[in-house]
Amino acid sequence: MMTGVLQARGLCKSYKDKKVLHDLDLTIEPGKIYGLIGRNGAGKTTLLGILTAQNTKDSGEVTYNDQGVWENQQALNDICFSRELQPTMFYGRNNLKIKHYLNSAAIYYPNWDKDYAQRLLEEFKLEPKKKIYQLSKGQLSMVTITIALASRSPITILDEPAAGLDVVMRERFYQLLLEDYAQTNRTFIVSTHIIEEAASVFEQVIILDEGRILENCPTEELIDQFRYISGREDEVDRVCAGLEVLSVHQMGRHKTAAVRGGGVKLEQARQADVDIAPMNLQNVFVALCSHGDAQ
Amino acid sequence: MHGTLNDQSLIYLQIAKMLEDDILRGVYQEEEQVPSTNELARGYNINPATAAKGLNRLVADGILYKKRGIGMFVSRGAGEAVKQKRKAAFYDGYVKPLVKEGASLELTGEELLAMVERAIGEGETT
Repeated sequence: MMTGVLQARGLCKSYKDKKVLHDLDLTIEPGKIYGLIGRNGAGKTTLLGILTAQNTKDSGEVTYNDQGVWENQQALNDICFSRELQPTMFYGRNNLKIKHYLNSAAIYYPNWDKDYAQRLLEEFKLEPKKKIYQLSKGQLSMVTITIALASRSPITILDEPAAGLDVVMRERFYQLLLEDYAQTNRTFIVSTHIIEEAASVFEQVIILDEGRILENCPTEELIDQFRYISGREDEVDRVCAGLEVLSVHQMGRHKTAAVRGGGVKLEQARQADVDIAPMNLQNVFVALCSHGDAQ
Repeated sequence: MHGTLNDQSLIYLQIAKMLEDDILRGVYQEEEQVPSTNELARGYNINPATAAKGLNRLVADGILYKKRGIGMFVSRGAGEAVKQKRKAAFYDGYVKPLVKEGASLELTGEELLAMVERAIGEGETT
């Protein structure tokens, strides 16, 4: 599948006087599964909305294959942003039926795969005649997943697709995602709060914190830069000198430090009388983004 | 999200190690095909790029080789290559931690060696 590079440069966005995105740069390369993680209010949905020309921006630019995306039908034909469905609308409950959403998706997305949508509906046991407000949170997620996958868009974006799903369905969702990816090699951006179980699915992880991109790099490369070092206080301090210490826990003389550092320093740490433990993506995320809230 | 994998080490390393284990156990024999990137990705619910990285690591070590357009195969002498590789890592991975733990328990060198000899003896009788 032909997909292009989606790029944001110098994005700024405020709601009233609250700055949500700060001069943000981001490049989405074709043919990868990206995970977008960030805390509540970090700006994930705003960023995804602006990338897909569904939200306005204050300044900066978003391009797809070097063409601006705003009101550019040719670029938007290649991009699907399947938003979370709302059971209530401004005028009351959402009386639209699942099939209304699917029918408009079929019009809007040029690569729409009707058979695939049908298969997914059956797998999810969704009744096309059901109204949106009658659906459970998990079923709402299943509708957005169906639309995203069946859009067959070269760039497909899912915002919190796992949020309402039970653990079995979440596992099935990532299976479906990987199966589709293996066939089409299209680009996915998936935002999620349930980090650890998705970590192995993401080739690349984007960490958004307070409107800024902290990291955008291969998942395992990122994780491998972090370690917990624990032991007697003075030994830990000695080993941590020269490493970036992100957080510290202390119980009496026992100290645990979350550190980030290169291979050589960590090799030296191995000689000392301390324990060194790896982190997982969730640990890394907490170390980078907790800002003291996790104490 | 991934079967028998854990989060104690990087996933591509775990994939490589699992395939090595299976080669040592004879699950995959010389000149036999091993699972493809996509099969591994599906089997463990991991990104295909991660699975490919695990496979490529074994290619770099000469344990697997690539047949263009067909897949990955176990090299001749792969079992021996895995053993050599593991022997090289044995000192750092097992012997050093053993000595370190012994030292923190204030075991003398003789006591430690005696324990190792005892374990060898027990291993021979079972």
